[in-house]
Amino acid sequence: MRRRRVDPAAGARAGALPEAIAALSRSLPSGPSPEIFRRAKFDRPEATSALWQLLFRVLSPLPAGNALASIALEVQARLVKSALCSQGYPRLALAQLPEDGSQGSRELLLALSWLLARGPVPEQMLAQTRVPLGDEMTVCQCEALASLGPPAPHMEAEGPVDVRHVQWLMGKLRFRWRQLVSSQQEQCALLSKIHLYTRGCHSDQNLGHLSVTEAEMLRDPEGGQKLLRTLERESRRLEAVLAWRRAEPVFWQWMDTVLGTCTPEAPAAASQPTFLPWVPECGDGELELVVRELQTLEEELREAVERRRVAWEAKARGCGRGPEWSATRRASRETVEKELGALQRCWEQDSGPAPAHGPHRLVRREDGAAGDRDLRAAELIRTLRSQEACLEAVLRQLQGQCRQELARLAGALPGLIWILPPGR
Amino acid sequence: MLPADCSRRLVAELQGALDACAQRQLQLEQSLRVCRRLLQAWEPTGTWAWEPPPEPETNEEDPLPACTPSPQDLKELEFLTQALEKAVRVRRRITKAGERNKAPSLKSRSIVTSPGTTASTPPQSPGQAGGHASDTRPTKGLRQTTVPAKGRPERWLPSVRDRTRAGIGARAPRPGAGLRNQHMAPSAAPQAPEAFTLKEKGHLLRLPAAFRKAASQNSSLWVQLSSMQTSDSMDAAAAKTQFLQNIQTASGGSQPRLSAAEVEAEARRLRKACSLLRLRVREELSAAPMDWMQEYRCLLTLEGLQAMVGQCLQRLQELRAAVAERPPLPCPVGRPPRASPSCGGGAEPTWSPRLLVYSSTQELQTLAALKLQVAVLDQQIHLEKVLMAELLPLVSAAQLEGPSWLTLCRAAHSLLCEGGARVLTILRDEPVD
Repeated sequence: MRRRRVDPAAGARAGALPEAIAALSRSLPSGPSPEIFRRAKFDRPEATSALWQLLFRVLSPLPAGNALASIALEVQARLVKSALCSQGYPRLALAQLPEDGSQGSRELLLALSWLLARGPVPEQMLAQTRVPLGDEMTVCQCEALASLGPPAPHMEAEGPVDVRHVQWLMGKLRFRWRQLVSSQQEQCALLSKIHLYTRGCHSDQNLGHLSVTEAEMLRDPEGGQKLLRTLERESRRLEAVLAWRRAEPVFWQWMDTVLGTCTPEAPAAASQPTFLPWVPECGDGELELVVRELQTLEEELREAVERRRVAWEAKARGCGRGPEWSATRRASRETVEKELGALQRCWEQDSGPAPAHGPHRLVRREDGAAGDRDLRAAELIRTLRSQEACLEAVLRQLQGQCRQELARLAGALPGLIWILPPGR
Repeated sequence: MLPADCSRRLVAELQGALDACAQRQLQLEQSLRVCRRLLQAWEPTGTWAWEPPPEPETNEEDPLPACTPSPQDLKELEFLTQALEKAVRVRRRITKAGERNKAPSLKSRSIVTSPGTTASTPPQSPGQAGGHASDTRPTKGLRQTTVPAKGRPERWLPSVRDRTRAGIGARAPRPGAGLRNQHMAPSAAPQAPEAFTLKEKGHLLRLPAAFRKAASQNSSLWVQLSSMQTSDSMDAAAAKTQFLQNIQTASGGSQPRLSAAEVEAEARRLRKACSLLRLRVREELSAAPMDWMQEYRCLLTLEGLQAMVGQCLQRLQELRAAVAERPPLPCPVGRPPRASPSCGGGAEPTWSPRLLVYSSTQELQTLAALKLQVAVLDQQIHLEKVLMAELLPLVSAAQLEGPSWLTLCRAAHSLLCEGGARVLTILRDEPVD
């Protein structure tokens, strides 16, 4: 069923489609020419490699750079297939395309449109390469230390290591943490000074002072020229994205026709991916850990609940009965349900405070006044403090658990005295 | 010695954490370099091509508005202008530079009464009013007048900068008095009226007009983009949904599989659930109920938590089954940075920049320190779990094997219970006989 209400006026405008496609290709980084799109509709082979490369740019998590350009087409194609599979792309024909770029441009065009339909791809790509004019600080923990990219191919320990090597690595890590703390304190102090000293310089009253980037631009005019050019390029891309958004409906009409020219695929016997999906390698290990934790918790709870239930039943039997008794019980039940519901919502909602996402520009104001869409440092500090307390509690609890377990294991061995290190 | 696969995993984890820290440290140091350089003496060089240079003569006529300099100030001003004139003479002798200044980004309001000098003061930032005249300031200024003279002729006569003050004060040793002193006062002089003027008038340092235009155009485009985002046209939205459905039906694939990104998001949620649940269970178990009603509520809570744990476990088993279908292999290029797509998409991607307002250095430092602390704790907790999973089984399995087991025990205790910070001591208790 591919009927859809079409706005007749939109389709009737001749030339609207080429404009739309041109806007789309301008809005994507190194987007292929509209001609490529047209050829792809007819599944012409010469359009294939350009589309592989475009898909790779769109799907690759890494920022554009020389590293990306030097990857061979076959590798790019393979990675594109993996990525699409991980995202749940339904068409099997793509998986079966040859990776040398000899054919399949129409499938690639469909894949691109699928991605475009699922999310604001040009905007996201633009946001990734956005040139920050201010001193940015991210508010969410998405760029926290632990989640940085894949471990570089390291000289992994070839064989067994002594546990003292592990201790040594841990010590090194603790030192690096301390180093980070002091470097960051210094950076904040300097940043704050620069903001203070350039107070009143900015043309935008809302900001009030220069950022390091802007001051740097005044210090180094060549860098400033580069920054200006990048800014202008970004503005051109932005205009292209806006034009694309306005002209979108025409594009989707056209894509429907493209889809129409494909023969419907037969449902596969078993959904067996024929290539390796781009799955983060953490997949299984992490889940293991969580499963184990939860299982331990379940055990503990089972014991505790049984015990308490029995005790309480015994006690309750002794008390009197009456309507108010059951009313109180019901009230308690409701309260508990509400509390637990709130707890569940804590993790079901993916992100915590909604506006706290992405980078924010640091602005120094003596009075700390902020617009309603802006964040204030004091509030953020409160949130972070509670997060810190929460995490510290978790850590302490884990350590306590270990202490108990080790004490149990060590206690089995008589004839030894364990002198614990002095408490903090 | 630890078994090979265990070693590999532990070392890999720790090395990963070390690399993450090193990366962050690198970023910080880069930023520090830039900041330190900005806080030293520099001058906006006069090669802006976009802005017409201001005419010093007209500027000279401008009276300092809204404040009448005291006689003390005027005297100091005179000192300063004399010093500047002398410097310019020295300069001219060396470089024969008679050109007019071309530092359009500088607006001179202060040392404008010096006749004949085409020097205009480099930007003096506001806010240093009446401050603490640091004696290092004049030094910098003097040093600057001689050094760059060898350089480009169209250089501006650099003067002291307020912003270098604290920076220099913090870093360079404070020079003695003597020569500096006589310039100390005049340099301090223009600050007071100037800062006052600046506060009223605005800025001395100005961003070039071309940049301002580009930046405002850029930000207005971003704003347009976000407003367009939220009011996505009905046509386009409907067309997209329809297209997705069409592709789904026209494709051979069965119902949409759980994508890797979704698996990861779900796993993250469940991990969070696990910690929250565990915390709550601890709370309830350690609470001492005072009366039967509290006891009842405690019991109900525990039972509720038990049910939730069961649900989470079930969900996890399902996820594991889904993941197990596909053989995970490391991607040669690198795995997607965790959480970045979902975060960027997030609740509602607003593309126009938002501000984070702080009011003092202290506050900013606290904020940054807390952020770092939370990230470090995150890392620590993750490592703790990994270490527990690897070391505890070893300790329990390898019991009674002599000194190597004791070493292991000791190390395990230190790593697991003290975060690697302290080590315990084990004494052998020899029976006396």
